[in-house]
Amino acid sequence: MSVERLREALLDGDQNRAVLEAKRLVDGGAPGETIVTEAIEKVMEQLGAKCTVEQFNLLEIMLVGRAVTAVMKGLFPEGAPCATVKGAVVLASLEGDVHDLGKNIVKTVLTAKGIGVIDCGKDCSLDKLIEAAKRDNARFICISGLITSVVPQVRRVKGLCLARGLGQIRVVAGGAALKQSTAQSLNVDYVAENAFDGARYIEEIVEASL
Amino acid sequence: MNGVERILAAMSLDATDRAPVIAQVFGHAAVVAGVPLGRYVQDGATLARCQLEALERYGYDAVFALMDATVETEAMGSVLDYRTNSYPTVKSYALESERGTDDLILPDPKRDGRMPEILKAAQILREKVKDSTLVVGCVLGPLTLVVQLLGAESALYLAIDDPEKFASLLDLAADAVIGFGEAQMVAGTHLPMVFDPSASEDFVPHQFFREMEAPRLKRVFEAFRKAGACGNWLHIAGPVEHILPLYGEIGVNIANFDYCVAPVRAREALPQLCLEGNIKSLDFVDSSPGAIAAQSGQLMDFFEDRGGFILSSGCEIPPESRPENVVAMVSSTVGRRPVRCRG
Repeated sequence: MSVERLREALLDGDQNRAVLEAKRLVDGGAPGETIVTEAIEKVMEQLGAKCTVEQFNLLEIMLVGRAVTAVMKGLFPEGAPCATVKGAVVLASLEGDVHDLGKNIVKTVLTAKGIGVIDCGKDCSLDKLIEAAKRDNARFICISGLITSVVPQVRRVKGLCLARGLGQIRVVAGGAALKQSTAQSLNVDYVAENAFDGARYIEEIVEASL
Repeated sequence: MNGVERILAAMSLDATDRAPVIAQVFGHAAVVAGVPLGRYVQDGATLARCQLEALERYGYDAVFALMDATVETEAMGSVLDYRTNSYPTVKSYALESERGTDDLILPDPKRDGRMPEILKAAQILREKVKDSTLVVGCVLGPLTLVVQLLGAESALYLAIDDPEKFASLLDLAADAVIGFGEAQMVAGTHLPMVFDPSASEDFVPHQFFREMEAPRLKRVFEAFRKAGACGNWLHIAGPVEHILPLYGEIGVNIANFDYCVAPVRAREALPQLCLEGNIKSLDFVDSSPGAIAAQSGQLMDFFEDRGGFILSSGCEIPPESRPENVVAMVSSTVGRRPVRCRG
């Protein structure tokens, strides 16, 4: 089984071609899990290596992300479990922030790396966020913020986790507004420069605990 | 010199009695006046009163007839969610679902959405400050307006999947922006600032800006100049290093630059253009007056030998900012040597 053509289609951001290539592999007997690890994860690694702080091309990431999402939907239709899920991340944009582009990119990157994501959406209250983290036994909470007015909410997340007996959860912040600040100032564990940086931080911790 | 004279001189890289200073105070004016932000962004008279009180309190060189970034999209059919103490957000986009671009019509600034309230604010502000303080209006850049009509993801995918349709939407957005900006000047603004955060390199590659947005911005600025704008101000927050060199040919007279752009890079890219920036917005919330004053001093020192610099924040001073930090920035311009040199 050669996944090369699928990788090329994904890197090219061509979702139609990527879906066709994935179907060809499935029809040829390739397990979905192998397609994820050999094609999707490798492509995201390549993209991540390219996307340094200086060379961050949002359009390219979005196109690859759209193709990855389409392939994943084909491999694991809603309800079907993805065998590679490791860890659990609760992700949201907080109350008052309706920008979800950055959040959606983080979701795509993490999902493609085989990390389970519970997406609490945009304009999400802290109660809903913490409740989801408790319910789904999350190891990480990721907050994407484009406007500075969410900063006071971000600062409360760790304290609310502690109060609910969830002190082991690591909190990661990112996005144009939040990356102006430091982890200490935001009272979080890590401030990510971009989606790949955040995913790397999470992946390192997940891998270390396996 | 008064505020208008100071800013006009800075635009020409001429001498000024002190560095001009513009605090990008929008919703913060409501907070310090004790007015709910939700009312400030819906009532032009309230906005004008808060802006004038903030001007009295801080003493900077410009006031803003500016509500938020959703005025145009609301006037063109988007539905907003208004809140008491924060800016409104888009609940449903004008071009969401199956609605086609052909259904979009140009807004009438005298009638649609909150545009008439902006015009009212502009009129009151100009009547009060006349030509002593710069009265600044605001329009979105065409790309940012398209993003506000479609949503960010949909807009970018449309740009890739159907570039012709995207281009025609950008043209329509440019027409809407021109009409709104011209109405603001008739109402009393000295110039409408073009606020275009979606044009930053965080969002689109610089080649995309050059091919798609720059020609529309040029058309917008030409129209504003013809309509009597005393200058053209382009405000793109975030990283802009690769697009800064294009500002001159677009017709920009005041170039905003954010905290993530080093002053030396901005100066190299635009040696003959007035620059405005670049203290980090969040510092007005988190930092101390001493630190703000120190940053302000460094910026003024750096530009002292060429002039053409307006001390400011890189983007909006957040509503919840500490007033003493705004005071620190404005006060730092007082008592310094006049800016003498021409670049």
